[in-house]
Amino acid sequence: MTQDARTVKVSKDLEDLIPTYLANRKKELETLRQALEAADFEQIRQIGHRMRGVGVSYGFDDVTALGKLIEDGANAGDKAALEAHVGAYGQYLSNLRITYE
Amino acid sequence: MSDLAATGLNVAPQTAFRVLVVDDDPDMAALLAAIVEAEGMQAEVMCDGEAAIASVAGAPPDLVLLDVVLPGSSGFEVCRRLKAGPLTALIPVVLVTALEDRESRLQGIEAGADDFLHKPVRREELVARMKMLRRLHETRRELEAQRLAAEVEHKEALHKALSRYVSPRLTDRIIGAAGRAAPFRTEAERADVVVLFADLRGFTRITETIGVHHVVDMLNEYFSVLTEAAYQHEGTIFNMAGDSLLVGFNVPFAQPDAPARAWRTAMDMVSRFAPVSAEWRARFGVATGVGIGLCRGEAIIGNVGSPHFMSYTIIGDTVNTAARLMQMAQADEVLVSATLYESIRPLVPAGRAHAHGAVALRGKSEAVGVYSIKL
Repeated sequence: MTQDARTVKVSKDLEDLIPTYLANRKKELETLRQALEAADFEQIRQIGHRMRGVGVSYGFDDVTALGKLIEDGANAGDKAALEAHVGAYGQYLSNLRITYE
Repeated sequence: MSDLAATGLNVAPQTAFRVLVVDDDPDMAALLAAIVEAEGMQAEVMCDGEAAIASVAGAPPDLVLLDVVLPGSSGFEVCRRLKAGPLTALIPVVLVTALEDRESRLQGIEAGADDFLHKPVRREELVARMKMLRRLHETRRELEAQRLAAEVEHKEALHKALSRYVSPRLTDRIIGAAGRAAPFRTEAERADVVVLFADLRGFTRITETIGVHHVVDMLNEYFSVLTEAAYQHEGTIFNMAGDSLLVGFNVPFAQPDAPARAWRTAMDMVSRFAPVSAEWRARFGVATGVGIGLCRGEAIIGNVGSPHFMSYTIIGDTVNTAARLMQMAQADEVLVSATLYESIRPLVPAGRAHAHGAVALRGKSEAVGVYSIKL
């Protein structure tokens, strides 16, 4: 995934939902980090699965793409890969820019 | 102004299309609800299966968007239960799921889901499906409204047709019992009843002197007057033959005040017929009046006839006695059996009743106490 600032276009009528949505993603990232440290692959898989659902639905295609990688990594028990994907997720959320249209 | 409004019809306001969103992920639930509301529909959110079922039972929505992976009962289970309920089976359910395998899809079909939507949700796809299901729902609702209107129209026509033959209360009972137990018991029953027999005095003279076409019109006029009086006091007309009318009270419905009803019916019959009789006298030169017999006692009520023609009728000594009293009654006279007279005595105007004493009636071994009331 890219580590540059990413601009995501979101529908104007979803604007009210976005602050909560992003707050939940940040909590999710924190939970992922803790689960990774504990090697709790089942929890990581569930979070990845949920990311797949809520990413594209809101217009955040990269969240869905990362979610799939995380879910696959958890299924494979590939901790190294998961560390990379969770890291990428953190970068993505840090550099995220949103415009409403 | 709309076409409907222009007609002056009272059009019920269109209620909002209600969508129940069931998802344990607050972000997904909020998103679905926002899309629903952006389309002018009303959204309600539930985060688990049991809460969803309780919500549907309390206020059935028009559509359910149902996540599959839920805490407690799964979306499949919730869907299965909704589709098994007679009141909820027709509510469209769309399973919204990230499960892509064939097995999950089959499970959804088996649970009765009407449609599937994959996560991540594509807004255009969700909106298109909701609009399609809304159109279907509205069409179904329109058809149901039309069916109900046709049913009401049919019942009204049936009521109108039946009311020509039986009292309005009996008509209601027959129509109300459609599909349930027959309103008339197959087996006969005994009941304490009050029987009123009325008959037209001077009818023989009418048939001898007046043209047939007039006779039928006159009979119709006479029976209309008597029938209205009987129905006003909720009597049940059992028979109309020649110029006589048989009316029962306290049957088939309990009427604790049956004697009073029968007496008032008799008075009404005489008073309503008086102007008709006066008009006939002026037009045709015939003297007419109503002769009435009233008796109270036990009678047998039941269906008599063949499988092809049934008559709901009333038979027994009480009926025979009322018939005999009617035959003896003069124009505008009511002959009442002594047993019934005791029940209506306070209602009879002072000085109108005269005791005949015990009268031997044809076909009866014992004499019957009779009172004459001239109206």
